[in-house]
Amino acid sequence: MQHALIRKLESYETLSDADRRALNALVPRVRQVGAHVDLAREGDPPDNVHLILDGFACRYKVLADGRRQIMAYLVPGDFCDLNVFILDQMDHNIGTISQCQVVDIPRQSIEDITAESPRITKAFWWCALVDEAVLREWLVNMGARAADERIAHLICELHARLEAVGHSKDDSYAFPFTQTDIADTMGLSNVHVHRTLRDLRGMGLITLRNRVLTILDIERLKDFCKFNPNYLHLKNARWVDRRSVIWASQSQGG
Amino acid sequence: MPGHGNVETLVTMQPIAIDTGSDDRDGMLVMANGMLVAVLVKLATPEHEQEGDWFVEVALGPLRVHLAPTFGSLDDATRWMRHHLRG
Repeated sequence: MQHALIRKLESYETLSDADRRALNALVPRVRQVGAHVDLAREGDPPDNVHLILDGFACRYKVLADGRRQIMAYLVPGDFCDLNVFILDQMDHNIGTISQCQVVDIPRQSIEDITAESPRITKAFWWCALVDEAVLREWLVNMGARAADERIAHLICELHARLEAVGHSKDDSYAFPFTQTDIADTMGLSNVHVHRTLRDLRGMGLITLRNRVLTILDIERLKDFCKFNPNYLHLKNARWVDRRSVIWASQSQGG
Repeated sequence: MPGHGNVETLVTMQPIAIDTGSDDRDGMLVMANGMLVAVLVKLATPEHEQEGDWFVEVALGPLRVHLAPTFGSLDDATRWMRHHLRG
């Protein structure tokens, strides 16, 4: 079975069998981590690169008065800190939201695999670029969308990201987030989160039962928040097409 | 204006209906020494974790910067606001 990382990277780059073998060798030991456990703390020297294979984690900061701001959700296939091992110390925390399967990858292994495979290196670049693009979209979300559109947008984004790694089925996916988690992510009070989720349910757009979220009408939900998945670059079709054209012309010329 | 030194801030409330787009509609305008500083609303939306509590729907002036909890009673809310208006 292909793990979430390979599924994710293959949406960016066409990998060879050798690449897949090398990526499989990165995840020899999977660690089970409980919910609400910190994988890295602000101020710590970064050690290993953490990869989430199952479950949800987040990046967050805690303010002096105890308020928490979540800046990113990490889903299966996501590196928590692919490049931060270059830093002297962590400038934010990474913690689990639900129970997670985590892989600790020594930084040397990342350096070795990128030195050996230009395709994996490029796919890692994609990961970093998309992480930045998601952050930009979240900035737009916080600054320019109303509370109900903001949460609807997050629900659409999680759906797209989880579907890409095979963790969403029939428009349903695990939703372990509490109202407080969403409030701390979206810059809202949990009262507003509660009202908004109720509204979205009332409009027949979603249901939320036993921590499973089901989107009842994905097109209507996308339209409601004007969701455009372009920033996730999931299909990357433009590049795949262009590459095959280049290869074809090269093989004819050679 | 917020109180200074030992002078206690006079906090008064006036009932008001609020359109929050939800079942939460019984509210209170909160005045400190005659100026509007907050709007409270009683949480009535079913299944809310703090149903029945008073929630700071809007905070103005010095109250804006504080993370307000929800309050079990208007007396608790008044105490909290008086404390934060003092600073």
